[in-house]
Amino acid sequence: MAYSNKVLDHYNHPRNVGSLDKSDPNVGTGMVGAPECGDVMKLQVKVNPDTGVIEDAKFKTFGCGSAIASSSLATEWLRGKTVDEALEIKNTDIVNELSLPPVKIHCSVLAEDAIRAAIGDYKKKSESRPQVSTNA
Amino acid sequence: MQYYEALGLKPQLALGLDDLKKRFYERSRQWHPDRFSRAEPAQQQQALDTTALLNDAFRTLRDPISRAEYFLKQNQIELSKEAPPELLEEVFELNMILDAVRDGGDPSQLTASREVFAGMLTQTDASLHALFESYDSRGDRATLREINDCLSRRRYISNLVRDVDKELSRDAHNPPRRGGETDSLGGPSPAPGPVR
Repeated sequence: MAYSNKVLDHYNHPRNVGSLDKSDPNVGTGMVGAPECGDVMKLQVKVNPDTGVIEDAKFKTFGCGSAIASSSLATEWLRGKTVDEALEIKNTDIVNELSLPPVKIHCSVLAEDAIRAAIGDYKKKSESRPQVSTNA
Repeated sequence: MQYYEALGLKPQLALGLDDLKKRFYERSRQWHPDRFSRAEPAQQQQALDTTALLNDAFRTLRDPISRAEYFLKQNQIELSKEAPPELLEEVFELNMILDAVRDGGDPSQLTASREVFAGMLTQTDASLHALFESYDSRGDRATLREINDCLSRRRYISNLVRDVDKELSRDAHNPPRRGGETDSLGGPSPAPGPVR
């Protein structure tokens, strides 16, 4: 069983590798991992607080080709989406787009978890913001 | 639990290795197929089956990790696949260092990280042993679930230490990169075609 061309493309030319400033209030960070394979995935989004649109997304993944491709694809899809639209991305969408074999489905689940964690982190930050401005 | 019964033990998590060995050798001698070479076929088969079971039981129970995994499974607890969230930051940092070393960076940083994770492993083993004893005296499922978390944490850390050791030994002997192309995608994945 070989990797699909789309996986190889994302693996050889990953999009949006890098990191965003974790302390930026508009940046949400998601860090997830899978103990069986030791994969670890960091995915970050930078949100425009006025529009709720994701302006930038970055990732860094240590893991197999499918895990890298899944997170690379996720960052591509995240850009330009609103926070709520982003939460509608399902791991099955990633599986279909990359034609992942059954043994690699957990990589797409990891990517979905990372999206949720990053958005969750952003939301937590934005909810705590008004309290910070009035009184600590 | 079959493995415990085979060795005449009551199911418990903390086991003495010497006692286990003694029981295994005694029973292995008793059931050695050579002693049944002139017996009825049914008895010969029984000797073979018992010997196989004794081997499996001993191999599983002598190692605390595989013993605990067996124990959980027998108690219908599925092994946890959750990564311990409190470790992820450190794991990520370690991977950054590994990457840097692979690109020709300073391996001394890696040695330092290895010690940190090896220390965590020792700590996890100690907590595991304490949980074993606590379960043996109380027999509650809550402790079994704690053991499950502890095992998952341990698996994750020991994989990391293994990765670091692989990197350090490569660095020490400076051999050609093992594995060739299939290695470039990493992971236990089915071998992909030539990638680079």
